[in-house]
Amino acid sequence: MTDAPGAPSPTPSPGRQPVAQRPMVQVEGLTKTYDDLARGEIVAVDRLTFSAHSGEVFGLLGPNGAGKTTALRILTTLLKPTAGVALVNGFDCVRQAELVRNQIGFISANTAVYDRMTAWEFVEYFGRLHGLAPATLRERMEGLFAKLGMDDLRDTLGAKMSTGMKQKTSIARALVHDPPVIVFDEATNGLDAFAARASLDAVAELRDEGKCVVFSTHIMSEVQRSCDRIAVMHRGRIIDSGPTDELRERHGQQDLEELFFQMVRSADQASSPLGPHPSSLKPQASP
Amino acid sequence: MRDQLRDRRTLFMVAVLPVLMYPLLGTSFFQLAQFMRETTGRVALYNAEELTDAPGVPPLVEGDRFAEKLFATPEERERLIVERRPTPDAPGPDDPAAAARAAIAAEEIEVAVVFPADFAERLQSAGAAPSPDAPAPPPPAPAVLYNSGREPSQVAGLRTSDILRRWRRALVRQTLEDSGVPPAATSPFQVAQLDVADQSVREAMVWSKLLPFIVFLWALTGAFYPAIDLCAGEKERGTLETLLASPARRSEIVGGKLLTVMTFSVFTALLNLASLALTAKILVGQLAGVLGGPVGLAAPPAAAMAWIVVAVVPIAALFSALSLACAAYARSTKEGQYYFMPLFLAATPLMVLPLSPGVELNLGNSLVPVMGLVLLLRALIEGQLADAALYAGPVILVTAICCWLAMRWAVSQFNQESVLFRESERFDLRAQLAAMVRRRGDTPSPTAAIACFAAMLLAQSALRSLWPLPSEGFSGFGYFAALVIAGQVLCILAPAVLVTWLLARSWRETWRLQAPPRVADMALGLAVALALHPAGQRLALGIRELYPLSESVKAQLAGLAGLVGDAPPIGVVLLLMGVLPAVCEELAFRGVILTGLRKSLGDAGGVLLTAVLFGATHTVLVQSLAAAPVGAVLGVIALRTGSIVPCVLMHAAYNSLQLLAALNAPRIRSLTSDWGLSDAVFVEMPSGELGYALPIAILGGVAAALMVLAMGRRGRGAPQPAPAFGAAS
Repeated sequence: MTDAPGAPSPTPSPGRQPVAQRPMVQVEGLTKTYDDLARGEIVAVDRLTFSAHSGEVFGLLGPNGAGKTTALRILTTLLKPTAGVALVNGFDCVRQAELVRNQIGFISANTAVYDRMTAWEFVEYFGRLHGLAPATLRERMEGLFAKLGMDDLRDTLGAKMSTGMKQKTSIARALVHDPPVIVFDEATNGLDAFAARASLDAVAELRDEGKCVVFSTHIMSEVQRSCDRIAVMHRGRIIDSGPTDELRERHGQQDLEELFFQMVRSADQASSPLGPHPSSLKPQASP
Repeated sequence: MRDQLRDRRTLFMVAVLPVLMYPLLGTSFFQLAQFMRETTGRVALYNAEELTDAPGVPPLVEGDRFAEKLFATPEERERLIVERRPTPDAPGPDDPAAAARAAIAAEEIEVAVVFPADFAERLQSAGAAPSPDAPAPPPPAPAVLYNSGREPSQVAGLRTSDILRRWRRALVRQTLEDSGVPPAATSPFQVAQLDVADQSVREAMVWSKLLPFIVFLWALTGAFYPAIDLCAGEKERGTLETLLASPARRSEIVGGKLLTVMTFSVFTALLNLASLALTAKILVGQLAGVLGGPVGLAAPPAAAMAWIVVAVVPIAALFSALSLACAAYARSTKEGQYYFMPLFLAATPLMVLPLSPGVELNLGNSLVPVMGLVLLLRALIEGQLADAALYAGPVILVTAICCWLAMRWAVSQFNQESVLFRESERFDLRAQLAAMVRRRGDTPSPTAAIACFAAMLLAQSALRSLWPLPSEGFSGFGYFAALVIAGQVLCILAPAVLVTWLLARSWRETWRLQAPPRVADMALGLAVALALHPAGQRLALGIRELYPLSESVKAQLAGLAGLVGDAPPIGVVLLLMGVLPAVCEELAFRGVILTGLRKSLGDAGGVLLTAVLFGATHTVLVQSLAAAPVGAVLGVIALRTGSIVPCVLMHAAYNSLQLLAALNAPRIRSLTSDWGLSDAVFVEMPSGELGYALPIAILGGVAAALMVLAMGRRGRGAPQPAPAFGAAS
């Protein structure tokens, strides 16, 4: 049985391992190529396949340039894929882009807030873009500002905020319409330890609320702390994926950071002209 | 909007600058006028002793001032202090001129007047009756020395020269009186000028030229800075990505930004207008008070202001959409500011040209974007309401179309990933060119097509500067033929060959030679030329009515017609002017350029842009406008048949028919007259030329369209794989 697109997914109680009915994010054979005049065709994302469920944090792990941001930009409908399919809560990212945007909250590393708007105005603006009724919007914002400890920031202009304050405001903006899927794209980059910790706490809380969190990073401690399952990306491809414990066992390496380096090195050697295809090195775990 | 209202830079540009600028400019102007009025200059006279005892010469100097009679008011007299300086005895560095220069340079004096040593004597001889034996010597020339690098010196110099002219007039009057001749004999009549325009029209004339220019210029400036901040600025700050991830459609985002930018553009223009009007009103009042009379300029009339307020809205919409589209392309605000200059340079001539004398509101000018609106506004301000009502329709239509196109461009910019997520890479022309060559496909890319067109324009420009058209007509047919061949082969065919060679792999596919043409298509091509000929001729005449040729171009074309008429066999002329351009232009335009452009613009876009570029390579505007629609028909034929051959045949036949009809106009006229068809086939155009009757032109056009539709059932769309040449189609 398949649910209708957009139907609410069952919300697991906090602390319980989710039993997903169907994936909130489904990506299959996703490919994105760029035509660069000087370098020729660049394959930024190469036949990417994964899925993420409600009540879990799915980590996209990879070095800089691995294709994580491109994949997430496709999920958030900012880019169109060259091939493949990406569904968010059953909506197609290309054909139903506007509906997909209502299902997603997107938080990136650049903590983008308007310098000349206060935190309250900024979040309110995006709430209105999402078509929330004034009363609902106000109620939702009051709840979010209280939950994220942002009451002091209400009247602070973006230009006067610290990076951590900006990131909190970004999180509030991304959650204002209560989306079932939240995408964190290297969202802790450049944050101090406290702000990064607050962001990771927010990720955990969202998971506990039954949201599907897609979390991209290259910081292993964050993976260890937050992610239920991960997919390791390198040069646009997933070189391995699965629950973190399973990956540790499969590769015989308990240290996640060491495991990551090991996988990337193996993929590099395998993709040399004489080596085998990276995907043939390790079994692709089904998500 | 709220974000922009809190931006100090935008507020400064939109509100503070206009409010401060005009009062500051006005005050400066007023102070300059005061300075001109109040500043006092010191004038040194050299060889002034020559003036004192001369009989019959009215006094120039009285005490330390010029003579009182030479001034209209005593205040005027007080502004020049005169001193007589001793004349150095020896010539050389101590001569009067050198001494005067030194004194001016040392700022001891502002002006020096050096009289010739024999000034009085020569004045006397100049007044005497001329001797029949000896020619009259040249009149003496006292020199007024001043320093244009110093404002006070320049002002005093002008005043002193004026006083000397008044003294000369007094001297003439005195001489005439001494000779018994009435002074009125030197001016037996006066010229009286009477301006029949109403006071309100006279006042409006100045402002009708000035106000649209200033207000439109500020509308552009007021649009651009917020547009940069709302597009490039948002990219830079990362907020654009967030905004694009919201459920708002791209068109809604662009619409919102457009409304914001437009609001700022309108307010910038209106604040400038209000500030200018207020400053002008105050300044005119003050100047009148200072000068003690009317200053010949009034504050802008209320009607003019009202019309400008109405016109600001569409022009702000147009400039805002253009600014948004340009700003969307920029990666940063700094880069965005670089794009302001090209937009400014493109828009300014359209705003300045209507200020030229002789440029009036007519159908042709009303169809030119921006310029038509400026002229319409001028007409409205000057009270020419009938003219304005007549041409308001075309102006509004053209402005609306331009706004729509600009808006679509802006939306398309926001839909392009390559624009929104452009990475800042170092621009390396050599590497880019090398990559273009290395990665060339079977047919040229859109960039290669544009490069081909740019190369054509460059080659045309180089040919024109190296081998200019003779100003007094062609010396012979050979010279003209050489020029035509060079123009076609070097400026049209050579760039097409070069681009195909460097930037494409398949000559046959690029030049649409891969499939053998159908005989039916070739026959239809010739028939289309015949059917389209009356419509084309009528269109060309219509365009010539709208945009009359200048006298020099007319003379050049008449000379050309004579040259071609007297030329050797007509077959040679047809080969030169019919077939050669058809071959070269078709290979270049329907071959290289259309093939490249339709890859990114699609069939319709490719055909239309190729037609516009085809028109643009025809140097005379009238020819360009007439050629573009024919180019569009040729583009459709190329796509429908998939072959260049029907295009070449149609083009050659069309050119030849136009040429033959022009050369044999009298004969055709007499033949149709003999057959009693004259009135049915031809009508006399307002210019006196003979044009095809409208029903004939329309019928021909419809027939041509049907024939084009009947062409190439097989070859439509993308080029088909090449069958063996000669295979049955």
